[in-house]
Amino acid sequence: MKREALKGNQMMGIVAAIAGWLVPGLGHLVLRRWSKAAVYFLCVGGLACVGLAMRGGIFGAGAEDMFDRLGFFADLGAGVFYFLAHQIQAAGPDVAHATGDYGTRLFAAAGMLNILTVLEAYDIGRGGESR
Amino acid sequence: MNSLFGNFTHFEALLFFALVVSLTFAFLSKRGNKERVKYTLWAFLAFLLVAIGIGWLMYPFSQ
Repeated sequence: MKREALKGNQMMGIVAAIAGWLVPGLGHLVLRRWSKAAVYFLCVGGLACVGLAMRGGIFGAGAEDMFDRLGFFADLGAGVFYFLAHQIQAAGPDVAHATGDYGTRLFAAAGMLNILTVLEAYDIGRGGESR
Repeated sequence: MNSLFGNFTHFEALLFFALVVSLTFAFLSKRGNKERVKYTLWAFLAFLLVAIGIGWLMYPFSQ
């Protein structure tokens, strides 16, 4: 399918970035980058869901030390998966076992990965060079 | 889903992480399917090699 060019501007970039943060891939969907949208949604969503299925821990907003605060910002990057974490992970976290600890890292990695895709969506939206 | 992924070993989690991150990096940094496939394979193997290498280097300290 031939891609129709969208004329970028600052507002389009901001809208794409917010959409992409809320739902991974949605920013690219708004910008009509279909394959990127699908891959980012599946990869970020897959990483987040597997992290939760492994009973990884989720960092809350009231973290006291710096590492927990960094973990909170990493987790927050996953957007809707962060806000729905407690619904998806009905059994709750279990970081006493190694698998839960790996799950914590996978979920944080999903958030960081989504931040990269958000930056790309912002760049494409404002008319920057896109791959 | 819990029963499928809940018992992942460290190595299985590493394989999954490496595959997903490699694929995302390929789409972020490369244009064209051929380039993306090449980059995904390269990054995936690099993740595995580095992880196994570091694990092997740390092995004596676990004794």
